[in-house]
Amino acid sequence: MPSTTAAAEKLLLQMVDDYTEREISPQDMPMDKAGDFPAGFIQKLTNTGFLGIMLPQEFGGAGFGPEVTADVLNHIARGNASTAVTLEGHFKTIDQILKYGTPALQKALLPSATDRIFAFSMTEASGGSNPMGIGSTATREGDHWVITGDKIMITNGGLAQVYCVLVKTAPKELSVFVVDQDMPGFSFGKREDFLGLKGTPVGEIVMDHIIVDDDHLLGKVGDGGIIGDSAHDDARILMGAVLTGIMEHDLKIATDYAKERKAGDTPLTDLQVTHRKVADIAMRKETTKLLYQKAAQLKAAGQPYSEEAAMAKAHGSRAAVSAGDDTLQILAGYGYSREYPVEHLIRDARAMEIAEGTVEKMRSAIAKAEFNK
Amino acid sequence: MSKPELWVIAERRLDHIEPTTQQLITKARDLAGNSFKTVVILLEATADHLEDELTPYGPDEIRVVRDDRFPTATDAEHADALQQLVETYHPNGILFGATITGRSIAPRLQAKLQTGLTADALGLRYDGETLIAVKPSYGDNIMCEITIPERRPQMVTVRPNTFVAEEAAGTAEVTTTTVTFHPVDRLQVTAATPVVNTATTVGDASRVVALGRGAASAAMVNHATQLAEKLGGRIGVSRPLTDQDRFTHDDQIGQSGNTIHPELIINFGISGAVQFLVGMQDAKTIVAVNSDPDAPIFDVADYGYVGDAQTFMTALLAQFN
Amino acid sequence: MKIVVCIKQVPETNNVKIDPVTHNLDRRGLAGVMNPFDKNAVELALNLKDTTGAEVALLTMGPDDYAESVREGMAMGADSGYLLSDRAFAGADTLATGYVIAQALKKIGDADLILFGRQAVDADTGQVGPIVAEFLNQPQITYAASLRMSGPNEVTAERLLEDTKQTLVAQLPAVVSVRSELNTPRYPTPRNIQLSFEKPLTVWHHDDLDLDDTRLGQSGSPTVVTKVYAPEPVKRELTPLTGTPSEAASQLIKALKEHQLI
Ligand SMILES: Cc1cc2nc3c(=O)[nH]c(=O)nc-3n(C[C@H](O)[C@H](O)[C@H](O)COP(=O)(O)OP(=O)(O)OC[C@H]3O[C@@H](n4cnc5c(N)ncnc54)[C@H](O)[C@@H]3O)c2cc1C
Ligand SMILES: Cc1cc2nc3c(=O)[nH]c(=O)nc-3n(C[C@H](O)[C@H](O)[C@H](O)COP(=O)(O)OP(=O)(O)OC[C@H]3O[C@@H](n4cnc5c(N)ncnc54)[C@H](O)[C@@H]3O)c2cc1C
Repeated sequence: MPSTTAAAEKLLLQMVDDYTEREISPQDMPMDKAGDFPAGFIQKLTNTGFLGIMLPQEFGGAGFGPEVTADVLNHIARGNASTAVTLEGHFKTIDQILKYGTPALQKALLPSATDRIFAFSMTEASGGSNPMGIGSTATREGDHWVITGDKIMITNGGLAQVYCVLVKTAPKELSVFVVDQDMPGFSFGKREDFLGLKGTPVGEIVMDHIIVDDDHLLGKVGDGGIIGDSAHDDARILMGAVLTGIMEHDLKIATDYAKERKAGDTPLTDLQVTHRKVADIAMRKETTKLLYQKAAQLKAAGQPYSEEAAMAKAHGSRAAVSAGDDTLQILAGYGYSREYPVEHLIRDARAMEIAEGTVEKMRSAIAKAEFNK
Repeated sequence: MSKPELWVIAERRLDHIEPTTQQLITKARDLAGNSFKTVVILLEATADHLEDELTPYGPDEIRVVRDDRFPTATDAEHADALQQLVETYHPNGILFGATITGRSIAPRLQAKLQTGLTADALGLRYDGETLIAVKPSYGDNIMCEITIPERRPQMVTVRPNTFVAEEAAGTAEVTTTTVTFHPVDRLQVTAATPVVNTATTVGDASRVVALGRGAASAAMVNHATQLAEKLGGRIGVSRPLTDQDRFTHDDQIGQSGNTIHPELIINFGISGAVQFLVGMQDAKTIVAVNSDPDAPIFDVADYGYVGDAQTFMTALLAQFN
Repeated sequence: MKIVVCIKQVPETNNVKIDPVTHNLDRRGLAGVMNPFDKNAVELALNLKDTTGAEVALLTMGPDDYAESVREGMAMGADSGYLLSDRAFAGADTLATGYVIAQALKKIGDADLILFGRQAVDADTGQVGPIVAEFLNQPQITYAASLRMSGPNEVTAERLLEDTKQTLVAQLPAVVSVRSELNTPRYPTPRNIQLSFEKPLTVWHHDDLDLDDTRLGQSGSPTVVTKVYAPEPVKRELTPLTGTPSEAASQLIKALKEHQLI
């Protein structure tokens, strides 16, 4: 008999595959065309308990570990990357509250994470890759904090109800607070019109003198940089998983098509040009999978995983763009047609060379880690 | 010594004989040769004469049991009556139609008789006195031959429309016999109403009218709707037609749409691209109408008409009316 | 009220192959999943649990790994499970399967409603439900398209025959097999998947049940599978419809009538 954990994880992935096939995959093309989730989509995902997959059981979640959580996003992304990225944004935020929130904050906030989406927001118009460039502030007034600022390009911005926000508590001091859409002074700004991941809302929030108490501070004053890096690390594992799923989707389209299509009298499966492309797609997929799974494994074992997480995303994002490009070329005219999914898989993958740290920043992080060895 | 009996259990459908019964009589005659006696068992009401719908198919005997409770009898009551007959006549084999009724009564009878039952057979033959049934499984991906070597009777349910009913010469002897009807009052059939078409999607329709780019006009769609209604089916479309407002991805047949397994599909103006064919080539009967005699759809079709879709459709509808 | 749902575990895909050497089914690498039609029966039971507070138990006969499907059903919301597992049960056909299930139901004792899926997608017989009903001497409603409690001890169901809709009223206890159109099964939620491992799963072996050994397993099965093979792909031969459109149409209508299609 397998262990309870293994048995539960198997059932979970079975359920996820079933759900993806029936509820998510059919929405992949419509989402890309409409530029949004269809009505009721998120509600159904919520009702089925997806938001609580990695939330500990004491808070009403399912309490699954980092490895299977990443696998879940991998499997979902085989059907649709946007849905997986929306969950990625939620999970990485919960992770930071679990790591840095006070017990009181966790108790107050986390039980609602099974039916409210959480988001983590760092970027501002004045600074993305450079956190010190942000303008949002939290100022101490009596026994509470007053938060003011404007955050853009937040995954799930507008959809999420709870936001971890990176602000300055002093000119050279970054801290993270948790705010809620119901707090006075909170409002939503505009939604981005992005190239890909059309089903994931990415938007702006505006904070105008939001008042919070000390419990809404994650970690200590000045921990903002560390918490931001930690959120990136957790997100990157999950993005590696999403990218693997996109490449699996590519591979399926490419092989299905090659098996049916002939160039003249020769089946595409007999052409070396096809072999080369299909083999490359498969190798890119597999290396990315190994990277994200290794990072998740280290995380589960309580070991450092920052460098591996960066590798999973840095390698996986370019790999997935290239895999999509090769798939497009195999399908040729159909690949380039917006009637078929291949071109949007490239656009979806492309987002992950930018979001959660650009590939350039990740390479710097990887190189620094190597120099320090 | 009298020949062993091979039975066909007649099934009624509202006021008529369900066609599978007639198909099974023809098959039973073929199986019986000179070695078995084909007997149809008919349970009907006192005023019924459903045997008249059976005699033309030439079984050796039609054994009728009359009781006014039979037309609304439950599965258990039917099985009980049949058990009494089996225990009187000891047939060698019993064939039921694998209709919902047949598949509900036969296993109850099987349990009473403690014998074997092969489900949903597509082929039957005798090897001496052993009946060999060919049974599909794993969604028709695998065929098995199943026998019941030791126990009797050998019971089989047979898939409807597997065999063709043929009228036959010869006079069937119509006899009557009796059983004791044991009512089961814990279950009552309180209503029975005819239903026509239960399919709500192209995926579960047993008859499909498929339209492609060569049959995309409003008039064609309108006519196809009428045809689908008459057939008790649904419209399905090839990829290009999903661009029309009235069709969605749910109506699409093919690799990126629905994979369907209808009894009948009539394709109008569809070329037959591989991506379309993979979604429908398991249909039992395929009809294609296309103006291009070289269209690949004809490679998978059972019936083909080369010519204008609209003209053929009009002629077809006219004859339906 | 107590409901027992009988479930079977089947291969994940019907795309099974025949081993070219042994001519046996090659089931290598096929994961087991709950028979999809049985999920409709589980859903019906859970619906009745939601509305009437019924207690829902699952019952399966099969090897130890069938426990996975029982867990899945408990993750959907069933309260408990029974696994009937013993080497002596192996190789059972529908009759021998129905016998063991019926004996287990007698031991459970107080089930008011016993539910089945319409058929198992692998062997495709749909016979086990009616056999169990017969052994328990209970009324049966097969292929139910809807079902509701119409009294404290009574259910009303609709059954769709090929072209007739029947309404049936049964006094409990009764056996019901359900059509897949009846409902859309719920998904097990991730949390309930975890919690299902805390729900009781009782395993009964041969000696836990009152059994006549001559009625068990392969030796208690009247049917024998003598040959297994892959079907020939359907070869189609094109019959052209010829003449004027009207002549061609009448040829088609004649052919469709012959095939009982109209
Ligand atoms: C990855 C991928 C997935 C795909 N998935 C699907 C899918 O799921 N479903 C699908 O359908 N397609 C799919 N396609 C598209 C498929 O390859 C074909 O392009 C499509 O099936 C063609 O549809 P059609 O037969 O209606 O149109 P056409 O190929 O344009 O054929 C029209 C036919 O109508 C005939 N015709 C024209 N006028 C008349 C007339 N007056 N009377 C009679 N006949 C007439 C013509 O001779 C022609 O044969 C997919 C393609 C790709 C690359
Ligand atoms: C390829 C193949 C063909 C076969 N053909 C025949 C045949 O024609 N006749 C015959 O008598 N046997 C046949 N058998 C054997 C028979 O299928 C198995 O014995 C099986 O255990 C019972 O039947 P089923 O799978 O058809 O279930 P079905 O009767 O189709 O299942 C109906 C419902 O019964 C319940 N159920 C079924 N099995 C179990 C179980 N083990 N535990 C709990 N609940 C259950 C479920 O609710 C299920 O939805 C065949 C087996 C194979 C592998």
